[in-house]
Amino acid sequence: MVETLLSLRGLSIEFVRGSDRRQVLDGIDIDVARDRVLGILGESGSGMTTLAKAMVGWVSEPLHVTGGELLYRGRDLHDLRVQREVRSKIGFIGADPGNAFDPTLPVGMQIAEKLRAVRPDIGDSAAQKRVIELLDAVRIPSAKSRYSEFPNQYSGGMLQRAVIVDALIAEPELLICDNIIQPLDVTVAAQIVRLLRELRGRISAGIVFISTSVPSVAEVADETLVLAGGRIVERGEPMEVAHSPKNPITRELVARTPRIWTGDEIAGEPHHDHERPILQVQDVTKTYRKRDRQTFFGHQNVQAVRGVSFSVFRGDNFGLVGESGCGKSTLSRLLSWVEKPDQGSIMFEGRDISTMNGRERLAMRNGFQLLLQDPYNCLPPHLSVGRSIGLGLQVHGVRRKEIASRVRDVMREVGLSVDDLHSLPVGMSAGQRQRVNIARALVLEPRLMILDETLSALDPVEQSRLLALFEQLQVKHGLTYLFISHDLAMVRRVCTRIAVMYLGKMVEIADTSGTFYDSRHPYTRALLSAVPTLDANPYKPEECLLDGEPPSPIDIPPGCSFASRCPHAFARCRVETPLLREHKPGRLAACHLLDQAPANEAAA
Amino acid sequence: MVSLISFLVRRILQGALIILLVSFGIFAVLRLVPGDPARLVLGPMASDQVVEVAAREMGLRDPIPVQYVHWLGAALHGDMGQSYIRAINGSQVTGSHDEFAQAGKAHVLDLIGGALPYTLQLAALALLFAAIIAIPLGIAGGMRSGQWPDKLVLYLGSAFVSIPNFWLSVVLALVVTAQFHLIPSIGYQGFSYTILPAFVIAIEMSPIFMRSLSSSVSGARQRSFVSLAEIRGLSRWRIFFGHILRNAAVPVLNLFGVQIGALLGGILIVEFIFNYPGLGLLTVQAVLQRDFPVIQGVAVLSAVLFVVINILVDLVSTWIDPRLDF
Amino acid sequence: MLIDTITVAAAVPADKTAAVSPGRRIWRAAYAEPQFRVGLVLILILIITALIYPYLTPLSATKIAVLERFKPPFFLSGGTWLHPLGTDQLGRDLFLRSLIGLQNALLISMSAVIIMFVFGAAIGLFSGYYGGWIDTVLMRITDAQLAVPVIILAITILTVRRPTVETVTLVLALSGWPAYARVTRSVTLSERQREYVRGAKILGASDLRIIFQLIAPNVLPPIAFVAVLDIARMMIFEAILGFIGIGVQPPTPTFGNIIADGQKYLINAWWVATMPGAFLFAALLGINLIGTSVEQARNKVLGGTI
Repeated sequence: MVETLLSLRGLSIEFVRGSDRRQVLDGIDIDVARDRVLGILGESGSGMTTLAKAMVGWVSEPLHVTGGELLYRGRDLHDLRVQREVRSKIGFIGADPGNAFDPTLPVGMQIAEKLRAVRPDIGDSAAQKRVIELLDAVRIPSAKSRYSEFPNQYSGGMLQRAVIVDALIAEPELLICDNIIQPLDVTVAAQIVRLLRELRGRISAGIVFISTSVPSVAEVADETLVLAGGRIVERGEPMEVAHSPKNPITRELVARTPRIWTGDEIAGEPHHDHERPILQVQDVTKTYRKRDRQTFFGHQNVQAVRGVSFSVFRGDNFGLVGESGCGKSTLSRLLSWVEKPDQGSIMFEGRDISTMNGRERLAMRNGFQLLLQDPYNCLPPHLSVGRSIGLGLQVHGVRRKEIASRVRDVMREVGLSVDDLHSLPVGMSAGQRQRVNIARALVLEPRLMILDETLSALDPVEQSRLLALFEQLQVKHGLTYLFISHDLAMVRRVCTRIAVMYLGKMVEIADTSGTFYDSRHPYTRALLSAVPTLDANPYKPEECLLDGEPPSPIDIPPGCSFASRCPHAFARCRVETPLLREHKPGRLAACHLLDQAPANEAAA
Repeated sequence: MVSLISFLVRRILQGALIILLVSFGIFAVLRLVPGDPARLVLGPMASDQVVEVAAREMGLRDPIPVQYVHWLGAALHGDMGQSYIRAINGSQVTGSHDEFAQAGKAHVLDLIGGALPYTLQLAALALLFAAIIAIPLGIAGGMRSGQWPDKLVLYLGSAFVSIPNFWLSVVLALVVTAQFHLIPSIGYQGFSYTILPAFVIAIEMSPIFMRSLSSSVSGARQRSFVSLAEIRGLSRWRIFFGHILRNAAVPVLNLFGVQIGALLGGILIVEFIFNYPGLGLLTVQAVLQRDFPVIQGVAVLSAVLFVVINILVDLVSTWIDPRLDF
Repeated sequence: MLIDTITVAAAVPADKTAAVSPGRRIWRAAYAEPQFRVGLVLILILIITALIYPYLTPLSATKIAVLERFKPPFFLSGGTWLHPLGTDQLGRDLFLRSLIGLQNALLISMSAVIIMFVFGAAIGLFSGYYGGWIDTVLMRITDAQLAVPVIILAITILTVRRPTVETVTLVLALSGWPAYARVTRSVTLSERQREYVRGAKILGASDLRIIFQLIAPNVLPPIAFVAVLDIARMMIFEAILGFIGIGVQPPTPTFGNIIADGQKYLINAWWVATMPGAFLFAALLGINLIGTSVEQARNKVLGGTI
């Protein structure tokens, strides 16, 4: 029996600010039933968040409802009284778990506060007990002590779980999930999706799952709706929509979803070792000292990077992947010599950077450049585009006239209009700003470019455009690239060699097909099993996916740092740290399993 | 617990350093002043030889660091020296010419101790008035930003900030006391003499708190978790008291710690104008009369107060917002 | 210091709607507010009058005219428009004296604010950027000075050295620089973490270049706004010093000494003490209204709500 909880009938919502008037949602018809999961697919900007908020009756300035109805069990949800009554029956989970809680109060307390607000009949200690039970049920370790901890002590994944607990604590009939996996790391997102499916079995709520990820929606939903330009353009059974979409917009969305396992050819073979590497990192270590609040003058050591070694050869596209906390941001800072490694060496074109003096290092910066992630903060807001691009040349003492002409040339090359020479970054889009960033680095004629999550903040269309630009520039200037990214799909498309990082160490380095089809480290497999994909994943999540979180970089246990979460860990793993070993030419992994049963290799 | 003690120890040490720096600074400045304190004590009639002898006995011919160490040693034992000017019996004399009258001079600590209660009373009343003005308006302005309470905060704040405190004192003395005989102003013969000076100080202090409170309340209101809280089902009251006010309080508290200096400054002037017998009057007179030991004593006291209050402010702030590490 | 209240929003987020420069939009937003216009009118009137009137009128601010003693202001009986604010005990026109007082006050305050801003901001920039022991030392000195009520310091120094226009200016500057240093330091600290600073370092920019070419232009404008408001505050401070007797000395008219003198005649000729004060109040109100409206407008424009 289908029990309809929420009904949207021809709902239209407008955005009005000053003279700016836009239709955000246009004639939306949706029914949400109990015990069913409704997936809503769309691109960012299609009105998803507005729709999510509208479903809980949250429509505030500068948004206005201009038509249609919103009914909860037949009652008008725009009526404030109805809203208040119905609050306890609807749970909402937003896309920004970091800002969902008051940072000055413990998380558990706030969830209990919410419970007692909607169910005043429950007492203090009963509420606390319930919260701890539910925190435990969503697999937050040591739930009891976590109850009294503050939001800043929770990791991103844990916060999202806490928000889920908050939404479910009052046993709602309806749960709205707005883009809940987007801000998370791949493995964490996979865990949350798995959690949602488990919970679904246990509670009988209706769930609305809104996302930009086609595979994730297909995995979770019973029915899929596609939202584009404020309208529902397609409805259907999730697998059908994913594999044979009818509407052209849906088709484009699906087409843009990367195929990892059945897609195009891998990007080509890596270059060979007989050349000298353009960049050689050897045993680099970096530890930060943090004040230990628990003792008088004690310190804690945060081991961000622990003995990392790898080489990048000329013409290669080297990819460095890892999730939050793996140390890749620290490594990036070390590579750009903004900070110095405590141990180990970084050699560029055969010369150790730490042995260079100031002038030599400045000259070296001509040789390799680093592009950062955040398009909105990477450019000084008060310098014009031309001056930003010319900054590097200015530093190197190039004469003004020459600067002007070189800046113009490079702007044309990266696809910026020369008219923008005197514009401020303030009006430019993310893609344009990244182009300015690229121009700034390119104008110095580097030979190596390190791209630190440079494309992560861009939408897929812009990403493809910039990737094409990178390819062009590589051919024209003979560039070598080092991509630091968490986006495995992009890395697969573009890179020739891939290194996987976990908790400050490299756990696997191999050419792309080796990484994807012959991975030897359990973490790599877990990572690959977690990437949402429409084609069949050879790494089954049930076998490979992890539980829990990585250990803190302050208290790294002895032996293999992955042992605490590895499904194949055995005694040796907890005692002896595995070293990176070559198991096939050009493919290295750091795992004790490599020593076991070489016969398994024949089966691979 | 350990972190709390470690925090306190560190801050107290830092505070002691500041107090030492301040006391040495003032000490040195005073000693570098032209004019001989010994001459001041003995008066213009004493002969040069007598002055010289007295100066040497008072230690005024020693190098400055040495003098400072002497002073410091005595101060740590509770003896801040004696006034150059005031006598123990309360009168102000500039010494007799034929005898070394230093012994009959009032002790600095006594002078300060006598004036302190009046000033504390004044400060407390002033802060109370300021709170009555600033808190309701600030909160209203923050909760209704862009509407009339916010505008009121702006106008009133600008007006109050533009009023010179000494002018206001004169006007109030003229109108309230002389014209309407409502509240007395000059001197002190009862609690009611505290009202007008406290009011002037409150007018001076309130705008800054009003604006800070208004802006932090408005900022807190716009945080995501506040709008989400309503969706989650929390009542308006709960959101306001339990979340908005909490988060808004910290910047305002910090401001308080910094504004202590301004408060003391305001007290100084206002006491002088109203002839109110507190520390402010004592200090201004001491400076105008070159009474160094008293100036030194008051400067040190104010530094101590500044340090203590800032430590308290930090403690309370961290209690409210645990993100702020010690 | 008013400077302490500002939550300095130095980071400019991407403003996708900018067709006009931010400066002009701030001006327009401020102009839309009535209090801005009121303040602007006040200030313009006062400034123009202060610049022209003293040179056109036959009256003198300093010459004694015994016959004209204690003339009341224009709104009392016996008052005329010749002496709109009345005359003092020596027959000098109060309006003229107030105007000259305003000239002096503006001169002293503006110079003092410029000095304290430049000096304080420089210290704050270096302290915030380099951190480490430089920061610790500079901040301890700043704290030490903040611990002493500014007025004690000021009075002490002025009792020691003759209070001329220059010394008073320097004393005012001395009293104010710690607050600027503190605020500049804290915004520099957060600005230093921003991506574009790192980007510049990667390009090879030197520390000095980063501080002066990148951080300072981004961080200083909001502080400069508040500095304008501090001009008003300095004017009050200077007047207080004059009132106690250690400001610029008579016969040069400053609000402080005019009002202090006038205190003696409160009962019979109350306007001598109060009218110049009202004049000062009007001037300060103008400055403050303009300053706060512009600051609010700036926050709205850069915060994206306009």
